[in-house]
Amino acid sequence: MPINLNRSQAIIREKRLKSIVGYQGTIKDLADKSRSGCLKNAGRGFSQATNCNSGCAQGYLSSIVDAAIVNHGPVGCAGDVAGSNSVYQWGQHIRGQEHKRNVRIVNTNMSENAVVFGGEKILQDAVRTAYERFHPKAIFVTTSCASGIIGDDVERALKDTEAELGIPVVPVFCDGFRSQIWASGFDAAFHALLTRIVQTPQEKRPELVNVINFYASGRDAVAEIFGHLGLVPQFGIPFSSISQLEHWSEAAATISICGTLGGYMGNGLEQKFGVPYVTALQPHGIAGFDDWLRKLGETVGKQQEVEAYLAAQKELVAGELAEIKRKLQGKRVVVGMGPSFAHNYIRLLEDFGMDVVWGFSWHYDAKHDHGGCPSCTLDLAEKEKDIPVSVSDQQNHEIINLLRKVQPDLYVGRHPGQSVWATKLGIPTIMISDEYSAFGYQGTLDFGERIIDALTNNSLAKNLSQRIKLPYTDWWFEQEPFTFLESESDEYVTVR
Amino acid sequence: MTKKLRQIAFYGKGGIGKSTTSQNTLAQLAVNFGQRIMIVGCDPKADSTRLILNTKAQQAVLDLAAKRGSVDNLELADVIAPGFGSILCVESGGPEPGVGCAGRGIITSINFLEENGAYENVDFVSYDVLGDVVCGGFAMPIRENKAQEIYIVCSGEMMAMYAANNIARGILKYAHSGGVRLGGLICNSRNVDREHELISELARRLNTKMIHFVPRNNVVQHAELRRMTVTQYNPEHPQAEEYRQLAEKIYHNDKLTIPTPISMDELEQLLIEFGVVEDEEKVLQTQTPQ
Repeated sequence: MPINLNRSQAIIREKRLKSIVGYQGTIKDLADKSRSGCLKNAGRGFSQATNCNSGCAQGYLSSIVDAAIVNHGPVGCAGDVAGSNSVYQWGQHIRGQEHKRNVRIVNTNMSENAVVFGGEKILQDAVRTAYERFHPKAIFVTTSCASGIIGDDVERALKDTEAELGIPVVPVFCDGFRSQIWASGFDAAFHALLTRIVQTPQEKRPELVNVINFYASGRDAVAEIFGHLGLVPQFGIPFSSISQLEHWSEAAATISICGTLGGYMGNGLEQKFGVPYVTALQPHGIAGFDDWLRKLGETVGKQQEVEAYLAAQKELVAGELAEIKRKLQGKRVVVGMGPSFAHNYIRLLEDFGMDVVWGFSWHYDAKHDHGGCPSCTLDLAEKEKDIPVSVSDQQNHEIINLLRKVQPDLYVGRHPGQSVWATKLGIPTIMISDEYSAFGYQGTLDFGERIIDALTNNSLAKNLSQRIKLPYTDWWFEQEPFTFLESESDEYVTVR
Repeated sequence: MTKKLRQIAFYGKGGIGKSTTSQNTLAQLAVNFGQRIMIVGCDPKADSTRLILNTKAQQAVLDLAAKRGSVDNLELADVIAPGFGSILCVESGGPEPGVGCAGRGIITSINFLEENGAYENVDFVSYDVLGDVVCGGFAMPIRENKAQEIYIVCSGEMMAMYAANNIARGILKYAHSGGVRLGGLICNSRNVDREHELISELARRLNTKMIHFVPRNNVVQHAELRRMTVTQYNPEHPQAEEYRQLAEKIYHNDKLTIPTPISMDELEQLLIEFGVVEDEEKVLQTQTPQ
């Protein structure tokens, strides 16, 4: 199902990408089922947690420096703002901004009256408030379950205020019940940008490459590498301005730090404006970075420059990389992240000589918008070793149960809510909040050293585990971790 | 001993005469049977109590709540008005057509009445619900601990019967989880051929009875034009006696059943049997060129 930019709402991942939130098996089986079209979501008899796609949409858009967000829903729907704000603060910190500010989000505080009589008036009032308070260049309005169920005519209401205020006032349809997959919120955000913000190109800029990422801590490193190729990166969406985003159609290519994040925007730009989207492994670890940069080089005609750069890098890192591999050889590790990060980090850790004994991803996209099973999954499936994996939608009971059984030397996570539990179990843990960890050659070496450090200095996990009472009964720990996952075959991979 | 409160509800196809029939019947129940009655209008148009109040209700629950911020700022006295026969009238009210959620409004409104003890010191609470049960809100009165007796107002017209059957489905759905039962079909006659027989047969198949056949009479419209029930406008008229009989039957009704809704095919067959719809095969045969 292609991206449809003629509609006001993005099609959710479950329909577009055959995405799932429940599975347990192996990476080869996952890839086989994805390619044959047989992959089915396994339901859960018990679910401990999940995440709303609205948080993804409003968090991502609120990082545009001169935009404001109006979240049209009950005030609880704005609970995600705390998380968005903390990462936005961090983004300002790494940019050395002395006077940091909070994200600019207003919630319409939908109450029972608004639900019964319609929320269009309070929505228009909130848009005006956001305009007066923040003087933004655009306002994005994220919807909620409540506004969706009562059928508020958000589009018409916003057209009226748009005419009044003279700036784009853009609906972002991310009603919580629409999708079980939080990343559908990224798509909703990109859909709003593609349909209402990005303009027809006034010129083509062959040196410019759109880089879709989160907070761009690695922008200096990327700029330096791209400089060797005669290219200039244009980072986004966070910390972009509306006028910068308007010109994203003028770039020579789009590339993403994360396959899960960037697919909708990258493919949408290609589809609507002819800006090619570079589909590659993520640039984490040597093999991933090589593939990422080579595919970019092929897209913009810089193959020779890329090969020269990579050859020089290989020579520079060879000694230290060998030493890292020697130290990490055979260390048992469990990975828990979003799908694209998880499958790319499994590759990177296996390339270090480590033994990935389980890979969790929070959801899984059976295909990407450019078609085909995700390359990071295929890459793993083609290797000799078949790695046990599950799609565990942040189910801590599954994760903690499994970690207790397999007792890895290390847990590598990307979300604090899960990672902390591995530490509490006495397992040294690395939490990758920065998307540029393990980026490129230098980043890979740094990450290897970080693992060695975590394995060596493990007293936090050891001490903490002796003082923690886990919130699960003994009965649960006697069960298989995926007992509550309904399986087609009922044949679980036994976890020992 | 405290007399048990009876909660009843009138359902039926839009325009079939639910509000008219219910108000005329309840007026008789109040005047001739001494029952203390409260009518809860569950239609955003807020016109379920017009004939009892002799005017359109002035203060609907939700409209006043919107003005004051929330239902928490309301008192029962603000929204309950006594009318003919000392019948207490409450209108739920709701949004303009096409905006908001009228169904949620009914839930809010009924919760407000219950939480504030509106049903104390009455013998009957009667819910008058919008014609089409389009969502959960409009099914609120038939959920657990709400109306236990449902009266479906219908006629011998096909769509009215179709609606009656669908309402029976709704009742069946809640009959097992709560105590809701079907009290009977009220035929509000449209002078369709063999209407009495037809509705009696439909009632039999739905495992209920036609509790009363209300003949068509213009006096009902004359009274309505004057914002009155027949009982108030012309109590000696034979039509008032019809409503008195219906009120008496409801008052003494002990045949409350779990309905057995029929399939669409069965309903169509019934209409063919009674000549409301012609049999397709027969029509085609008669049209065959000679």
